[in-house]
Amino acid sequence: MTFTDLATISWRSLLRNKRRTFLTAISVAFGVFLSVTFTASGDYSYTNMIDSSATMGLGHITIESPNFNDTPSLALSISQTDKIQDLTSAIPGIEASFSRILGQAIFASGSKTVGGQFMAIDPTKEKTQYNFFLKYIEQGHLFSEDESRGIVVGAKLAEKLKLRLRKKVVYTLTDKKGEIVSAVARVSGIFRSGEDSIDGSMVLLPIKRIREILNYKEQEASLVALFIKDQRQATDIALQTSQILQDDSIKVLTYKETQREIAGLVAMDRASNYFLQFLVGLLIAAGILNTILMNVMERTKEFGMMMAVGMSPGKIVSIVLIESFWIGLLGLILGALITLPFYLYMSEVGLDLSRYIGTDYNAAGVLIDPVLKFILFKESACAIVTGIFALTMAAGLYPAFRASRITPVDSLKSI
Amino acid sequence: MNRKSIVELNQICKIYQQGKLQVTAVDCLSLQIAQGEFSALYGPSGSGKTTVLNMIGALDEPSSGDVIIEGKTLAGMDRTALSRLRRDRIGFVFQAYNLVPVLTAYENAEFVLALQGVPIRERRQRVMSILEEVGLADLADRRPDELSGGQQQRVAIARAIAPEPAIILADEPTANVDSATANGLLDLMENLNSNKGVTFLFSTHDQRVMDRARRLIELKDGKIASDGVSP
Repeated sequence: MTFTDLATISWRSLLRNKRRTFLTAISVAFGVFLSVTFTASGDYSYTNMIDSSATMGLGHITIESPNFNDTPSLALSISQTDKIQDLTSAIPGIEASFSRILGQAIFASGSKTVGGQFMAIDPTKEKTQYNFFLKYIEQGHLFSEDESRGIVVGAKLAEKLKLRLRKKVVYTLTDKKGEIVSAVARVSGIFRSGEDSIDGSMVLLPIKRIREILNYKEQEASLVALFIKDQRQATDIALQTSQILQDDSIKVLTYKETQREIAGLVAMDRASNYFLQFLVGLLIAAGILNTILMNVMERTKEFGMMMAVGMSPGKIVSIVLIESFWIGLLGLILGALITLPFYLYMSEVGLDLSRYIGTDYNAAGVLIDPVLKFILFKESACAIVTGIFALTMAAGLYPAFRASRITPVDSLKSI
Repeated sequence: MNRKSIVELNQICKIYQQGKLQVTAVDCLSLQIAQGEFSALYGPSGSGKTTVLNMIGALDEPSSGDVIIEGKTLAGMDRTALSRLRRDRIGFVFQAYNLVPVLTAYENAEFVLALQGVPIRERRQRVMSILEEVGLADLADRRPDELSGGQQQRVAIARAIAPEPAIILADEPTANVDSATANGLLDLMENLNSNKGVTFLFSTHDQRVMDRARRLIELKDGKIASDGVSP
């Protein structure tokens, strides 16, 4: 008896009780809907968080001095950053790279002194999409190449120092040799991200000027930040980058190592998401098990007869498992029909949650987009399909086993 | 000329445990069925007819004694081997027809051939010719619930004879049909026996079956009370 024969028997058996089959398939479809909702919202928010976190300075992948990640210091730097950028630009998947100097400084105005952090950047190369702070400049502008004394400060820091555009600010830092150095800057822009801890401590400075102050060479920087198209490829691309650069004086790290808080948060949220989906799956599997088991119990005599005329227990198992497969397939098709319009709406328009969480909601210091959207990665879609089939098939195992243990003589009573 | 023995029962006993009681359904019974026979087991309810038929059909095993089908002892055969034996060498006709409700008459008739893996073209030829023989060629596409009791039993007979088994075991095949239909079914089985040499063993209460059977084996309390050629 061919697989087609068994599949035909299974399909027609399910059609004997159309309503029950349809209701079970609907429960599977509901599972698909929930699973897509959980996974796609997760895929979107994780990507959003990771991408947003990357724009705060370190990129998805960071090339830096071996000890910089554990003990960040202006004494730790890498050289020949232009060469590094040239070499890495050929790696598929890398969208952009920037040399940056990151450090701590003391900022003083006529009225007050405040400690903070700076990121020194090249204004001719930086782009808004790769720099979180540039997106939120609300007054003035980013200093130009000619404005070597320009500075962009966070709005809260400006408030603390009573700064306005074009006002002077003195910053003091420790150079490469450990000497304390100071410089004067004039406020060219003020940014307001909405996150106080960022707006109250962060400033942007011109990299050329900082190199001079710190006694850095022309192509020296704290790090090169690499931005990639797809954050899921960070580990692979970091490995390729290491292989291409082959330099012991530098270290290539992914956001999972440089932004551990965000990576941990994503991993934790993803795990609880999967666990929740597993519980929903269990509930649905219980429904399928009930349906298939009822189908089997109602057909004890029929299975007994099939075995009496020579059908092997293995084929009986196949019939029941194929019934599970059909329910899974039907549920998947119905689920796709139900889910697709919702998915399309959510991926295009999304759900604006700003009324409930505000516009400055952050996790681990990273601003979260208040508009919830969906993205379903290919591997997530495959995992959902595989999961649904695995659950439906698993739900069919016990009824299939029960069916195969039927003894013809008992089920038929008499031949 | 001695005909080939299809079934051989050697001192078979079947004892059921009912609580603390032991019930002997078949009591050291020996019997031989030869090729081409058209025989019937008869006797009162509880005499052991069905149990004997079940043991010959490899659906049940004796508590002691040997069941031998075409020279092969069933004792010691595993489930798969017994399943194969039933599929290839034994045909069943049940009192309640027991067709697969989701399959058409044609598909039910070809069911065992499909299990045997007979090629589809050969299956089609054989099944259509058998359905013609049992008078159901025009109703091949109907499902069991669209057929009368007599028609369903004809499909069951078609299913039983399609794989050309060594013997067909028919348990009260006329019990659920009216007199005219019963006679029609018996004509059909008699013709298959006379023209094609198909061996039949019935278990029955029905006088019409006993009238047609050429050998009558009477069972009483699990033992053979009489065994002889029908007058």
